[in-house]
Amino acid sequence: MADVIELPRRRTDDDDAPTFETVDDWGRDDRLIRLLVPLAWLRWSVSVGGIEQLPARTGALLVTNTRRVSLSQIYVAWALAREVGRPVRFVGRPDVAPLGPFLRRLGALLDDPTEVEGALRHGELVVMGAAPTGHPRHAGPVDHALIGSAVRAGVSVYPVASMSSPLSRNARADVGPAVRPRRKRRGPLAEVELAEATQRQLQKMLDEFGGVQTGVPPVDWLAEG
Amino acid sequence: MGGELGSLVASLLESEQWVGSLVGIDSDPPRRRLRRAEFHLIEPDDRSRIVDVVTKFNPHVLIHLAVWEPDARAGTAHARQLTSDASLAFFGAAAECPALESIVVRSGIEIYGRAQNSLTRPDESVHPNPTSEYGRMLERLEGAAMATAARIGIAVGALRLAPVLGPHVPSPLGRLLRQPAVPFSSLADPPFTVVEDRHAARAFVAAAQRRLAEPVNVVAPGAITALQAITRGRRLPVPLVGPEWALVRRLSHVLGAPIPEHVMEVMHRGRLADGSHASSALGVEATASAATIIDRLYKWETVVRVPSQRAAA
Repeated sequence: MADVIELPRRRTDDDDAPTFETVDDWGRDDRLIRLLVPLAWLRWSVSVGGIEQLPARTGALLVTNTRRVSLSQIYVAWALAREVGRPVRFVGRPDVAPLGPFLRRLGALLDDPTEVEGALRHGELVVMGAAPTGHPRHAGPVDHALIGSAVRAGVSVYPVASMSSPLSRNARADVGPAVRPRRKRRGPLAEVELAEATQRQLQKMLDEFGGVQTGVPPVDWLAEG
Repeated sequence: MGGELGSLVASLLESEQWVGSLVGIDSDPPRRRLRRAEFHLIEPDDRSRIVDVVTKFNPHVLIHLAVWEPDARAGTAHARQLTSDASLAFFGAAAECPALESIVVRSGIEIYGRAQNSLTRPDESVHPNPTSEYGRMLERLEGAAMATAARIGIAVGALRLAPVLGPHVPSPLGRLLRQPAVPFSSLADPPFTVVEDRHAARAFVAAAQRRLAEPVNVVAPGAITALQAITRGRRLPVPLVGPEWALVRRLSHVLGAPIPEHVMEVMHRGRLADGSHASSALGVEATASAATIIDRLYKWETVVRVPSQRAAA
């Protein structure tokens, strides 16, 4: 019966070439992302800096600041992927259909240190968000459990200062140098201190961005960008 | 040794220099011509005969492939019983063999389960948490092998295979995907991976040769979703949301492609695993990606017609 009902197939020059794309090892659908990225760039015009800091082939954990409902992990991941020419994944998909599977197609990973560690061990670039804040220029606390996945995987942690505005397309994503802990630790203090150092470095980068600082969060929130 | 995978492993072992003599037991006759191997047709519940043959042979390595995937060749309850009978008989017999150095067990990545918030690509260090009957069968099987090995002080290696696909391998997933119209979860359409029978067979040979003493995931690189697989095979995709799955399962069963619990899990939650450890533990690299294996699945002939060599008188 399958020989009778046969659906049409896209014709290509090379018959043996794959005509349909697939997802990668982590379920990221590059074709879907290529379709959605132009729409994303209608919302954000992201200028990226500091990508020379990132490793060319090995994995790295990138920590970005998060303003509430700014979707900073997504635009940072996609903007960096565009610049470095390799997939950049982001942490924080729920495991509930249909949102979870959809975000997985966009490159999202579960908010689980073991999942993130697995990706880092396989040389993936992974963006995680600091705790969301109401102020666009404040870096929230960084989850040390996720930082621990980078420690165990033996990869570096990079701060990525991000900035966007709800009223403007302009957005920024600046990658800072890898965070170096002040002293080497063998135990769990390694990730706790590295998470604190990452938050400090991220805050420093955000302070260097400049911009409006009235001290009134709603005004600053709207005026950024 | 009677099943497709068993016959393939046996034929590969026959060509290995390090293999002295080879004995196989199955309830089905071998699917391939085996020249050196000695075959015994024994039912899994005939424990005394199995013990007799295994203890007389006194092997150095036992490769245990006697796992019945639900709805592949037997229904779930029957598959559970056959797998349980076979593991009891073979591990029990193996424990009586003084020369035995290693047991290699066929397992599957179904053992990791797909519970809420379970890892997307579990590696071998992840604790098994099966969420389907097949996964629980595999967990019991691995447990029985390890308990036996611990008692007699030998190594046990478990090859956790992704769903095995091959031209003659009975697979409920392969059978479902080859239907003219294939249901898929329109809300999730999660990715899964598979493994080719030849790759799995090479992994068993390498595990036996190296006396593997740990679990290893054996999967093809890459992943594919059900909709992508259906589209590649030019089948009619049938998007489903939820409650109608029960009806579709029954209908599919009637049409000859039952959808067991673990295949339902693939369709709703996906099934991936990290197979990177296999190359270092076994020295075996996959030659085909998941997408290529799916493409081959659709290229297999439904019925192979062999013309007569001379006309009938």
